[in-house]
Amino acid sequence: MTAPAFADAISSGLMKVVREMELTGEDFATARGLITTTHLDQIGFQRFAADVAAFLDRGGRWIYHGHILRPILAELGIYQPIPNPKRADFVQTRLSEHPIFAGIDQKMLETNHGVTGFYGRGHNPPPEGAVVINALGPAKTPVDWIWARPQGGELLSHAGNEFWGCGDDPEIKKQLAGRAVAWLAGELN
Amino acid sequence: MSILAIHPGAYYHIETLEAPRYAHHFDVLVRPEDLPSVDLDKHAVVFIPCRTPADRLAPHAAQLLAYLDQGGTIVATGETNWDVFLPGINFTPQPTNWWWWLTPGADLGVRVASAGHSLFRRLGQDDLTWHLHGWFDPPDGAEVLAVNGEGKPILYVDEVTTPGRMIITSLDPCFHHGSHFMPATTRFLDGFLPWMREELDGAQTK
Repeated sequence: MTAPAFADAISSGLMKVVREMELTGEDFATARGLITTTHLDQIGFQRFAADVAAFLDRGGRWIYHGHILRPILAELGIYQPIPNPKRADFVQTRLSEHPIFAGIDQKMLETNHGVTGFYGRGHNPPPEGAVVINALGPAKTPVDWIWARPQGGELLSHAGNEFWGCGDDPEIKKQLAGRAVAWLAGELN
Repeated sequence: MSILAIHPGAYYHIETLEAPRYAHHFDVLVRPEDLPSVDLDKHAVVFIPCRTPADRLAPHAAQLLAYLDQGGTIVATGETNWDVFLPGINFTPQPTNWWWWLTPGADLGVRVASAGHSLFRRLGQDDLTWHLHGWFDPPDGAEVLAVNGEGKPILYVDEVTTPGRMIITSLDPCFHHGSHFMPATTRFLDGFLPWMREELDGAQTK
């Protein structure tokens, strides 16, 4: 999870990294924010469905990375890859502002070493009421969206590898990681 | 017989093991934690997909070894710590050059080392070429199927460490195919999985 970007948050006690097999309901009950990485065991995570719902119910914020293939909430849908994507399908557009991305040129996250496709190659279907933050290509594929869940909590979905690992600018990566932690902690709104 | 695949549950495992393209190559999907409830001897092949967290298989190393000792076949792809759950593994990681192909005419260096092997009726050298994560020092008597640019093994068959058979590679096709990325990884699985079914699933034994 590009741990160095979170070294300060971890050392200060703000963030705790938990291996999936060691997760307990208590972890969700005591957290304000949640990051799940692109390598999440989505099958195993199902056992925490009630804990995740309770976490959101009390206002928790969750950043989800990756392709949703086992929705843990009824409102979530199955990841849809862009069929036969071309270069133009990976052009990134900011559709609405969010404090994590504010002021960051989305174009800076579009390529790694000049190669597109690392940021995202499809989308997790946004639930009703979700707001698309960043989109891909002329089809405006909703690669990033934020959903204020009616019952409580917020979910930011990024349908790709961790967004703070994309692009070639180390300062932007660091900035994104720092903002992600601040947003999850309720310090960035 | 049948092919059992370990299912660690990440999206790329779900896409590779469950989506229609390859699902018919796997008869049983088993979560690592459920292995103790499974009789592996009923299966001709145990397939361990790339990026299976090694700490989830480590508790089951003795069961996997017992399976090999009775003649079973284990296929394991890349980006895991094989040595904590399989015997006879000696792996050296290498920095991955993700960008080699951006140089016109560049050659990653992957070579088929055993062109007469039945696998290469289904796979060509280009189907093994996307990037490298490291190489193995297999035991004497193992059959090396593919090597990196320095001639170091990246895919081999070990029928000497145990009475069974281990087919080990540092290539990570499931991760990239399951990410809808890197067409060579899909071509690899398009050839490798039918070969696994035809050649390893009971049709041929040691």
